[in-house]
This record gives sequence, C-alpha cells and structure tokens, in this order.
Amino acid sequence: MKFVDFVCFEAIIPELQAKDRDGVIAELVSALEKAGRLKKPSREKIIKSMIERENEASTGIGKGIALPHVKYPGIEDVVAVIGQSSTGIDFSALDKQPVYSVILLISPVDNPDKHLQAMESVFKRLQQERFRKFLRQSRSAEEIEELLKEVDENPAL
Amino acid sequence: MEIKKGIAASPGISIAKSLIIDSEDYLIPQRKITPSQRLTEIQRVRNAFKDAIDELTQFEAQQDQTEGSKIKDIFAVHLRFLRDRSLRKKITDLIHSELVTAEYGVSTVLREIAAHFSNQKDSYINERAADFYDIERRLLRQLLGRKREDIKHLSEEVAIIARELSPTQTAGFNKKFVKGLATDAGGRTSHTVIVARSLGIPAVVALEDLTEIVHGGDRVIIDGNRGIVIVNPDDETIQQYKKYSHEFSEFEHKLAAIREKPAETRDGTKITILGNIEFPDEAELVLQKGGEGIGLYRTEFLYLSVTTEPTEQQHYEAYAETVGVFKHRPVIIRTVDLGADKHTQSRRFAPEPNPFLGLRSIRFCLQNLMMFKTQLRAILRASLLGQVKIMFPLITNLQEMMQAKMILRDVMEDLDEESIPYNRNIEIGIMIETPSAALTASTLAQDVDFFSIGTNDLIQYTLAVDRGNELVSTLYSAADPAVLRLIRTVIQDAHKTQIDVAVCGEVASDPEYVMLLLGMGIRTISITPPMIPEVKQIIRSVTIEDCNAVARKVLGMNSERQISSYLRNAVRKILPEAF
Amino acid sequence: MQAGQDSLEKVVCETTVEIKNKNGLHMRPAMQLVDLANQFDCDITVNNSENVVDGKSIMQIVMLAASCGTKLKIKAEGTDAKKAISAMQELVENKHFIDPDSAD
Repeated sequence: MKFVDFVCFEAIIPELQAKDRDGVIAELVSALEKAGRLKKPSREKIIKSMIERENEASTGIGKGIALPHVKYPGIEDVVAVIGQSSTGIDFSALDKQPVYSVILLISPVDNPDKHLQAMESVFKRLQQERFRKFLRQSRSAEEIEELLKEVDENPAL
Repeated sequence: MEIKKGIAASPGISIAKSLIIDSEDYLIPQRKITPSQRLTEIQRVRNAFKDAIDELTQFEAQQDQTEGSKIKDIFAVHLRFLRDRSLRKKITDLIHSELVTAEYGVSTVLREIAAHFSNQKDSYINERAADFYDIERRLLRQLLGRKREDIKHLSEEVAIIARELSPTQTAGFNKKFVKGLATDAGGRTSHTVIVARSLGIPAVVALEDLTEIVHGGDRVIIDGNRGIVIVNPDDETIQQYKKYSHEFSEFEHKLAAIREKPAETRDGTKITILGNIEFPDEAELVLQKGGEGIGLYRTEFLYLSVTTEPTEQQHYEAYAETVGVFKHRPVIIRTVDLGADKHTQSRRFAPEPNPFLGLRSIRFCLQNLMMFKTQLRAILRASLLGQVKIMFPLITNLQEMMQAKMILRDVMEDLDEESIPYNRNIEIGIMIETPSAALTASTLAQDVDFFSIGTNDLIQYTLAVDRGNELVSTLYSAADPAVLRLIRTVIQDAHKTQIDVAVCGEVASDPEYVMLLLGMGIRTISITPPMIPEVKQIIRSVTIEDCNAVARKVLGMNSERQISSYLRNAVRKILPEAF
Repeated sequence: MQAGQDSLEKVVCETTVEIKNKNGLHMRPAMQLVDLANQFDCDITVNNSENVVDGKSIMQIVMLAASCGTKLKIKAEGTDAKKAISAMQELVENKHFIDPDSAD
C-alpha cells in the first residue's frame, strides 16, 4: 500500500497546536473530519475511543514516534493523517522520550487486513533513518506530502 | 577402514549404511592410492562412464524434438564426450602415473579442459567451460554414488553424510530410518547438531573431508560421544562398538530413572526444566524425558518444508497438537525466526548481501504483516487450550518490541470483533539474543512478562563469529567473559523488574554450564530433550551454595580458556560417569 | 587440394578451410565434423598452426576452440582420404555446418 492510498494530505498538520496527548488526538481527528474523511461516525466518539485505547497501552513506539489508531464501524477505508510538534508531546512512551511525529490511523472494522497493510507501509518507512529525519525536518504540509509521495515512488530512498 | 575425528555433536552410537546427500559443489582432495589399487580405480572410471552414458542416453530420448531440441543437442554433445576414448584415456593415464583416485582423476582432467575453455577470448567458446563442469559432476555423481531425493523414500536404516545440512533438508528426516548424522562442516551448535539432538540420534560435525572418503552404501560407525566416524569398520571394531553402544544405553536408562524425580538442588531450590522443540511430535519426547513444559517452540518448520505459506489453520493445528500434550504446563511459542535462508531471500529480487544482519526474524515479520498476523491469530486461538505464552525473537530495541506488541494488540481486537475467543492475558516475552537487547534489558523489562536468553545468537553477535563456519568455530564459546557479563546484566535487570528470565540456548543443555547458570541466578532453563535427564542429575547433585561459588569464581576470571577448563573440572567432580 | 602418394595403399590429402560460422567450431558444428570424420576409415588430423589433433575425437576438436575466421588444415591419410577431404570441405565451407545458431 502506498501512502497516497491512505494518507489524507489535506489534513496534515505540520505544527500541532495542542501540547498534550489527548489534545493532539482530538486535533488530528478533527482535521480528518474537516477534510471530509469521517463520513458517518462522530468525531467525538472516535476521539474518545482512541484516547481510551491509548490509556490501555501507549502507541509511543520510541524514537519520537507515536502511532495512535483505532478501528471504527462506519469507516469504509483506512485513512491516516500526520501531525508534527517541534516542542514534543508526552505520549508515555516506554523510552520516556517526547513524541515529535504522530501518525494517526482510523481503520474499518470489517476489513482488518487494510489496517495491517497500512501499518506495514508505516513500519517499512520508519525503519529507514533518512525517512524519519526528513519527516522531522519538514516544516510544511506540502513538504510532508512531497516526502510521502517520493518514498512511494522510490522504495529505496 | 578409516577413522575420522570431528566434533561430538549429539551423543550416542550408530552403526549403519551411509547415504550421502548431494551438494552441488565438490572439492576433491588429492588422495593417493597404492599401485595395487590402480586397476580398481581404472575400472571405477570405466563404470562411471558407462553409467553416465546410459543415464544421458535415457535423458536424450526423453526430450521431445520440438521444445527440447536445444537440450537434446547438449545431451548429444555430452554423450559424444563421454564416448570419446581420448578423454577416458587422459583420466586413466593420470591415475596410472600419479596414483590418484578415480574422483581426483576425473575432476582434475575435466577441470583442466574447462579451464582451457574459460581462458579463450571468444565469449561463446569460454562459456562452454560450464559444459565440462557439468560432465564432471555427472561422472562424480556416478563415482560417489550420491542419489537425490532419497531422503523422502527411505526404507532402511541409514546414516546421513553431507557436506552440511540445511534446515530444509533436515525437516524431512524420519527417526525410524535416519540413525545418525555426520557432516564435513558445522560447529558445536550448527543446525545439524540441533536436529540430531532433537531426534535423539548421534551426530559428529566438522569432519572436513568425510564426504570425499565415504562412498554411498559404505558402512559407517558414528560415535557421537567421542566425535569419531569410522568408515568401513572391520569386524573387530564393529564388535567393540556394539559392546560400547550397549553400555552407553544402560547409562541412559539409569538417567531415565530420574524422570519422575523433581529438578531440585540438594538444598531444596527448585529449577524448572523445559524443553526446546521444533516439531509437534517432539513434545512427547520432552514429557518422556521429564521436562515440565516447552520453553522454546521453534515455529520455522511450518515454512521450511513446504512450497506455499502455511494457513492459519495449519499453524493452529500444529500448536494445538503440542499444547494438547502439555495441557496445564507452559508452552512458549516463538514467532517465526526466519532469516538468512531460502525463505526470506528468495522473496527478494535483490538478495541481501549480509542476510545474517539483515531483514530477518521479527524485522521480517514486522514488514510482512499478513504473514505475521496469520501466525499471531493461530497462537492466540491456541492460547485457550493450555498455558500458552508468546515470545518474539531477535528484538534489538524498544521500537521493535513496541511494534510487535502493537500488532499483537491489533490482532486481538480483530479476534474480538469476530467473536473468536482467546486468552486476553496471554503472557508476552522476548528473546534476548543481541548485545543491544542485553545492554538495554532494564528498559525492555518494563513492558514484557518474561525474558528468554538465546545464547546461540547472543554469542554469535557478541563475538562476531558464525557458529556454522568450521574455520572459526573454536572462537564461538559461551565461556567468553564478554558473553557472561552480558548474561549477568540481563539476569540482574530481570530480577530488578521481577520478571522471569530463562536461558534457552544450547549452553543450557551443556552439563558444564549448569552450575554457572544457576549460580548467576537462573531458575528456569529450556533445553534439548535428550539432555534433560543428565542436566537434572547435575541439578540434583549440587547445592545453590556451590553454584553461587562457581559463578563468583568464574565472573572474576578474564580468560575464556580458564573459564572453560574450570567449568569442565567442576562438573566432572560431580558427574564423572557422563565423561 | 593436393594429392600425393607415399605408398600403394596410403593416400594423403590435405586442404585448408576457414571457419565461417559466427560462433566458431562450438558444440554442434564440432559434433558434426567429428561424426563425419568417423564415417571414414582414413586417419584425419586437424591443424590450427599451434596444435595437431585427431579429427575423430570430439574432445580434441573442441579443445581447438576454433573461432570464426580461424584457418584449419585438415589432413587425411588412408584409402578414402580423397573422399574424406572433399566431404569435410563441403561441410565447413559450403554448408557452414548447417548451424541454425548462425542466424542469431
């Protein structure tokens, strides 16, 4: 799966306003709603679900990245949005480090494979030091979009 | 009769006919014959030529005109070669004058011709060298009696001889017919060793040139206790070995008697002995030998002897079978640890230059989530049938661990959605087998339920040694102070966080290391089933005090040699009969 | 083409030919040459100015590794020497060894 297939470029937030975890989740989900990607389910309910999930187990996987996600009924296809914070957010990551890049995903309930395919793409990219670096350094939504499109075309960035 | 010395890899004695497993690359050493053997060798050459001609004539006839005409041509040309008297004469002349074996003669002459071709400037002509290598192989196959595909159709007891054995090759071995293994390559913990021990058959490795000496069908004695292989033993030797074999199995029976007794030190400390298995049918063996569960269930076999990826149901059935044998006792299932082998390499269009340090094991799984989730689902479903735990291999950093746990969680949510039950509280552990994991164990310990120290890979990565490479296999040692220090760090970090820590590498099966491991704080080990009685015997013969003293002493030493001989002596005092 | 007589029984014939097919005297042509040579009673040798080999031995002919453009001297010695030489010449120069690969 390529990033263009599931990342909503219009919703990308190059500098998050919120400074806390729950605020960031709300901000990103709202951005997706504004871009028209939520359709049926309510924004509030999704945010609540995601926060609940995050409380059970942090999605801060270390090295400044968090991958909050949830599967929700009514969602047709997996959609993701990226938000960055230059000051860092506390996601209770196990390495106790702040998170600078948040990749938020909302996936359909009845097609779990789609979620995994999107995760696989994310994992593959995160594995590459250069990708993480360029992502961190991106200052605008356009730059992030460019980066994602570029890695889609060149798997060996 | 010829006696070859290698490394003792798996205990026991076998006396059987040899079956040589093919490998594509032969290196024939120069072996001298006596003048009286000349005629025999020359006749062998004639026979090999005749058989090769028959074989090729058959192949040629089988190729039909339309598609196979190019191939038919090649066979036709090779046939003319084989019929050429001057070729045969060159070989027999060489045997006659230089007193070498038929194999050496064939190999030398044909390679000379091949070399003559590869030296030609004209590219079309120099490519013909390959034809000569092909003819060489065909003749050598006749001479060395190697048959392909025979492993699947065994009908009599054999000892398998090979240059080395891959996991794929050994996956098909049937204990009923495979009575012993001997390889040219390999170190003390190579795959051959692991398989032999699991099957409970004797094995000797690192024999260097055994495959050049043995002819298919030769009788061989494999002495896995002393690391000796005897080719074409004389009657007297056979009698001696039969007697020795009898004595050795009596010793084993004695050990079997302690099956029911607990693995407790003399001063009452209980040690949990689990078994390492690869196939579901080895689970019985673990119980038989007195093991209390499975500490390492290697799941790669599901991928290795098949051509398509196993389905979730196939995974599930294998796990269910194993868990069924153990019911309430722990079964720790390790997710696939494939890597540096056919499965992961053939899927890439550009094979990795260094697969050993590449996309293998958990890393491979994290980038192949469809495959990973299939296994995870099966493990979760099987978790209802007993005390199943899940273990991730080759975790090198926190991120990998978190990603793996994240996917496990995602898969659990999917099962919830489908109303498929599983044990929500399944224990999750990781293998500590890299220096980075060992050095950051305190962080990793925060979010897992247990550690299992995989000493095989830990030693390889720490000492930068390939355990299967017989050129450096003596460098591979668990007694290296660097390795011991890392192990100690892991144990201490686990204790601080109060999580279980076990050792599941080959070192735990080694009688010489039992006291040391116990003294360093290990209370759970997972070992190869045949060694369970012997290790239990040692545990029952020591006190924790003794073990602590051994550990203190060893951790103060800084030479691998000093440490290994100290440990060897320490255990000999306790269990002299094992040696 | 020269014809000479050493004795009443033996006839010696010689000719020089040039290998014209693209891939030289490789497998298939070598095979054809040797098969043809073996049809005759006379001794046949092939000379590429460095080596002299037995024209009836596939191994020796292939060893010559004669590429396109190489000139070979074929000598036949025996009762049917004339016929042999004529046939060999025909094969090499005129038929170019009936080599389908030359079309590549």
